[in-house]
Amino acid sequence: MDQFFHRMGDGSAVQMTAKQIMADLVEGSEDAADRGKIPPLAKEEYDYLLDIFCSPHKFISVEPGREVILTYDAATLKIRRVGVHVDRIQALQIYEKIMGADTMELAHVDYSYKPVKPIATFEQPILEQALLATHIPLFYGAQPNLGLYSQPDGPFPNPSELMPMGKIKEAQESYEAALEDLVKDIVFVGSLMYESGADGINLDTAGAAGDADFLATLIATEKLKAKYPDICIEIGMAGEFVLGMHSQLTYKGERLAGMYAHQQVKMAEAAGATIFGPVSNTNTSKSAAWNLARAITFMKACGEIANIPIHPNMGMGVGGVTVNDQPPVDVVSRSSAAMTTLCRLDGL
Amino acid sequence: MADLNTITQALIAGDKDQVTGLVQKAVDENVAANKILNEGLIKGMDIVGDRMQEGDMFIPEVLMSARAMSAAVAILKPLLGEDESVVTGKVVIGTAKGDMHDIGKNLVSMMLESAGFEIIDLGVDVAPEQFVQAVKDHQAQIVGLSALLTTTMPMMQTTIDALKQSGVREQVKVLIGGAPVNQEFADKIGADGYAPDAGSASKLAKQIMS
Amino acid sequence: MAITHAHASGMGGMRVAGDLVARVQMARGMKLAQAKAYVAEKLAVDVSELTDPIVMTEVRTDLGLGVVTPLPGVPKGIEAKFNIARVLDIDINCVKRFRERTRF
Repeated sequence: MDQFFHRMGDGSAVQMTAKQIMADLVEGSEDAADRGKIPPLAKEEYDYLLDIFCSPHKFISVEPGREVILTYDAATLKIRRVGVHVDRIQALQIYEKIMGADTMELAHVDYSYKPVKPIATFEQPILEQALLATHIPLFYGAQPNLGLYSQPDGPFPNPSELMPMGKIKEAQESYEAALEDLVKDIVFVGSLMYESGADGINLDTAGAAGDADFLATLIATEKLKAKYPDICIEIGMAGEFVLGMHSQLTYKGERLAGMYAHQQVKMAEAAGATIFGPVSNTNTSKSAAWNLARAITFMKACGEIANIPIHPNMGMGVGGVTVNDQPPVDVVSRSSAAMTTLCRLDGL
Repeated sequence: MADLNTITQALIAGDKDQVTGLVQKAVDENVAANKILNEGLIKGMDIVGDRMQEGDMFIPEVLMSARAMSAAVAILKPLLGEDESVVTGKVVIGTAKGDMHDIGKNLVSMMLESAGFEIIDLGVDVAPEQFVQAVKDHQAQIVGLSALLTTTMPMMQTTIDALKQSGVREQVKVLIGGAPVNQEFADKIGADGYAPDAGSASKLAKQIMS
Repeated sequence: MAITHAHASGMGGMRVAGDLVARVQMARGMKLAQAKAYVAEKLAVDVSELTDPIVMTEVRTDLGLGVVTPLPGVPKGIEAKFNIARVLDIDINCVKRFRERTRF
C-alpha cells in the first residue's frame, strides 16, 4: 500500500497509508465531537482532508475567491524576537507592505495589560505616530494575564498555593478580587489607546489563567463597549477550553468553566465583542491529520453558531499547526487552506 | 429516613456541612456504616472522578468534594468493623527527584484518599531510594510518581530501576502522571499505568486493587 | 509561517483589498462575505477582483487609498485613510482624531 509523507503534531516526519490517515481524521474529529458535544465532520469533508494530505505538493491553498482576512497578533514583538532589530513602527510597515497582513497590532514587549498600565502614556505617542504612517487597520493589544495579579507578581494571595492547603473559598475569593483589578487595567489601557485613535483593541489569549481570566475579559469588553459604542474589540482565546480554576464563575447566567469555542463565542457576543478568535490546541503525540480534523470540527461548530466574525487562531501549536519554532510549510499551508475551506470563518 | 442518594448529591456539590450532617443522621438512624460509605460516599466520589475526566468538574470543586468525603469518613471510621475497613490499599506517592511541583500530586492523593486508599505522601523532590524505603516500610501495593518537567521525567525510569534492584518491584504497581508524560512514556519505562488526571488515577488504582 | 498563511488563504493586505475588507468588518461587525460585497460595491469592482493585485493597484491609485509602492504625490498613511473613510463610508477612529487635533 502507498505510503504518504506526513507529520506528527510535534512536526516530526512519518510515513502513513491513506487508510491510516483517514482513520486519524475520523478519530480526531470524533474526539472534538465527544468533548464539545458537537457534530463530527461529514464524509465529503474527510475526503477533502484525505486528498490534501495525500497530495504530493508541498504547498496547498484555497480556491480563488475564498481568501479570508489575515490578522497578526503581537507581530511587532515577533519580528524583534527573531533578531531583526527594527523599531515597532518599522515592523508594522514591514508587515503591511511585505507580509500581506490585512490588520496589524501594536504591542509592548511585556504584552499584558498590567505592565502596560504605568507606561501607557509612553505607548500612546508611538501608536499615534504609527497611525499617521500606516494604512491597514491597527489594533493595540495585550494579554489580560490574570496570573500577574497574585503573589509574588501581584497583591492577591496565590490561589495555587491556597488550594493545596484546602483553602478553596479563599482561593476563589482571591480570583474574584484579582479579576476586578484586571478589568480596571484593561479598561484604563483600552480607553487610552482608543482615544489615541486605535482601530481596535485586542484582548489576546483570554482565559489563560482560567475562568476568572475569561470573565474579566468579558466584563472589560462590556465596559469599553458601553464607554465607546463604536469601538472594535477582538477577544482571542488562550486555549480551546476554559479551565475551571475558580470553577463557579458565570457570565449572563452561564458557567464559564468547561466552555469550548462554540460556547465561548456566545459569551463574547453577549459582552459586545466585534470579533472572536477561537482556539483548538495541537496534540504533539498525534498526527497532523488527527489534529487538523479535530481543530476543524471545533472551529466549524463555532463558525456555524457565531453571529459575529470569527478569526480562528492558526499560530504555532494551534489550529492544526504543529508545535515548532518554524512550522513546516507543508503542514501550515494544509491547515490554513483546509480551515478556510471547510469552516464558515471570517479571518485568521 | 436517611437517603443515601442525597448524601451522594451533597458530596458531589462539595457541601461538607450537609454531607457530615446527613451522614450523622444516617448513623443515628442505624444505617450500617459500610452501606453509607459504599452506597453514598464512594459512589459520589466515583461520579466526581468521572465528571472531572469529562471536564464537567474542576479542581476547586473536586477539592471541596474530597474535603467533604474526608470529614464524612472521620465519622464512619470508628463504626466500621475490622473486616469493613475503609482502606482499599496503600499508596506511596511523591514527585520525582529534582521536581518541586506538587499540586497535581496532591490532587491525586486526595482523590485516592477519598476512594479509600491509605496515602504515604513523600512530598516533592523524592529520591528513588526514598520510594524504595517507603514501599518496604509500609508494604504498599501502589507507587504513584509525578513529574511536571521534561527534565525530571527520566527520574521516573531511575525510580523504577531502583525498585527492581531492591527486589520490591514485583510487589508494587507503578502509576505515573504529570503534564509531560503519556501512556507511551509509561510503556517505555515499564510503568504499570498512566493517568492523565486525578479522576483517572483513582479509577486506575481501584482497578489494580480489584 | 506568516508568509505561508498569507499565500495559502490570506486576502493580501494593501496589495489588494484585504485591509479594506478588514476595516469594514471591524467598523460594521460584518461577516466576511457581506464585508467583501460591501467593499466591492463601494469600489465598483467584482468581488473576485478584490484579491487581484493588478486591478486593485489601479483602483487604489485612482481613489487614493494607498498603494504598496508610493509614487510622488500619492496619498500615504493618514492621507490615504481619509480617502478610505470617505470611499467606504465608514468612520476611522484615527481620521476622526486627526480632524479634532488639527481643528480641520
